[in-house]
Amino acid sequence: MVYKVTKRGGYAVVHLAGDVDLSCSPEARKTILDALLGAQHTLVDLSQVSYIDSSGVASLVEGYQTAKKKGLRFGLVGVSEPAMSVLELARLDKVFPIHASVEERLGQDG
Amino acid sequence: MDADCVIEVENLVAHYGARQILHGVNLRVAQGEINVIMGGSGSGKSTLLRHLLGLKRPTSGSVRLLGKDITKMAARELHVLRRNMGVAFQGGALLSSLTVGENVQLPLREHTRLDDRTIEIMTRLKLEIVSLGGYEHLHPSQLSGGMIKRAALARAIVMDPKLLFFDEPSAGLDPVVSAELDDLILKLRASMGMTIVVVTHELESAFKIADRITVLDHGHILLSGTVAEVRESKEARIEALLNRRSRQTEVDPDDYLRRLTGG
Amino acid sequence: MAESGASRVLVERLGRTAAGWVEEFGYYFALCAESLYWLVAGPFRHQPVRLGAAVAQMAAIGLSALPILVLLSFAIGVMLAIQGIHTLQQFGAETQVVLGIALSVTREFGPLITAILIAGRSGSALAARIGSMQINQEIDALRVMGIEPVRFLAAPVLLALLVMVPCLSFVADLAALAGGSVYCKLGLGLGYVPYWDAAVKFVDADDVYQGLLKSLVFALVIGLVGLSNGFNVTGGAEGVGRATTRAVVLAISYVVVFDMLFTYFLNR
Repeated sequence: MVYKVTKRGGYAVVHLAGDVDLSCSPEARKTILDALLGAQHTLVDLSQVSYIDSSGVASLVEGYQTAKKKGLRFGLVGVSEPAMSVLELARLDKVFPIHASVEERLGQDG
Repeated sequence: MDADCVIEVENLVAHYGARQILHGVNLRVAQGEINVIMGGSGSGKSTLLRHLLGLKRPTSGSVRLLGKDITKMAARELHVLRRNMGVAFQGGALLSSLTVGENVQLPLREHTRLDDRTIEIMTRLKLEIVSLGGYEHLHPSQLSGGMIKRAALARAIVMDPKLLFFDEPSAGLDPVVSAELDDLILKLRASMGMTIVVVTHELESAFKIADRITVLDHGHILLSGTVAEVRESKEARIEALLNRRSRQTEVDPDDYLRRLTGG
Repeated sequence: MAESGASRVLVERLGRTAAGWVEEFGYYFALCAESLYWLVAGPFRHQPVRLGAAVAQMAAIGLSALPILVLLSFAIGVMLAIQGIHTLQQFGAETQVVLGIALSVTREFGPLITAILIAGRSGSALAARIGSMQINQEIDALRVMGIEPVRFLAAPVLLALLVMVPCLSFVADLAALAGGSVYCKLGLGLGYVPYWDAAVKFVDADDVYQGLLKSLVFALVIGLVGLSNGFNVTGGAEGVGRATTRAVVLAISYVVVFDMLFTYFLNR
């Protein structure tokens, strides 16, 4: 599965979709890390995610850590309900900057 | 076949040597359900679990997991199916030669080609979920009983299985720790939608977590129903189980005398 | 009537014992075949035998056994020299002692003493380790995780034994010959250089091969007996103790019996 990346107001937005499980989380990880390696602030759109397993969550964690190291901004937007419950299980909803939409984030950056 | 049924046991008959342990057991567990298998020692509940895990071949009957009959399966197919199963054994069964972290990530290392970083983060995530964050470098021998069970649970869920089996989560633990484990089981089902089978003899824990309770006695299913149904059951043996009365069987004086004298 | 009853019991017991033996040897054979399968086919199924574990086993089997093995072999060499000189003196042929030492060491004693030592040290440790894993349900846990215990546990150990036992046998050969040379120097005044010259002259490649071939078989016997007793443990901690003892006694017995058969067939 190839994930779409769009540009919105200084951010690379990585759109994950469908089931992010063991078979496609490496691709998700690569897409997120590539965006960050290009020194871009990155948002990950989880609105179309029907299921995310812990390898997918681990990729998000690694992305956030990488962004912090590089002094880049990172966040999750439009987290779908199934994705949210997995994040909550590991209390990661308290860790990631989470926004309802890309616009909301852009508004905050103001 | 019912599409929502992820575990289906039909007419399972099992022997240990010449002794018959299970007498035609039937069991159905729906997707996302927590089914608690209860029974005293010698009721056959451990044997039933071993058959559910595909560790034994039954004398007759079938065990279908995720729609596939594991009793007729080739080893290689079963091997694939097992990636969707997690098992937390009674004593933890962590490999004593490996650290807690290495134990938890063992299935990932063996079954996936994920990046090392991803595997490490996943391992720590699961340990956080079971409240063992920061313990990954210890060896199992350095952990308490409750910690070992939680580490075993972390290992069982590291592959995000569809089916989770938990053998005696509360055995040998103090009430507080065992209540925590019960909460954890409920949380796992709520957020990951796992189907969970718990084998226990702890009534309190069963009532707290179960959607359905299956009561085994001497290799027969005595009752399979919701918590309310079990509570209201008029069956003498179940009442005995509920009220923790010791087993009293009718005394046949002649037979008893013969047993005592060996005549 | 009573007599026929007794003999029937005897026959029955014999039959059961024989069936037990057949079963046990069948188990060894299956274990061996399955380990071989994983060693060869594992990498193609993306489930390779863990070489790291095999190397760790080699270190555990080999390095720590080395000092005691050298000591034992040296002592055997001295003993052979004493006996050889004593026996050959009666024929006035004591200078031929080097031939006796060199051949019996490379063909017999080197591999044998190594196998007995490894059976005692590593065979028992193996049975104890696998046995306690069995009663702690660690083996079951591996199985339900989709990790074949034979691939994960047995194959690395067998590989390690197959590499280490021949290597150690070779070291034992050298140590025993050294022991012999020291006594020949003291007892016969035979110099070290002539001794080693003679030893190298008498021993040909076949003798060494014969010893190494034996040690490969011994390695397999020690490994299979240790593993199978471990995997088949029943009855808790006490069972592990029984299995450990049984593994050592059986392994040493098989080694000695196989050695005799080998010697008989290879020297016809």
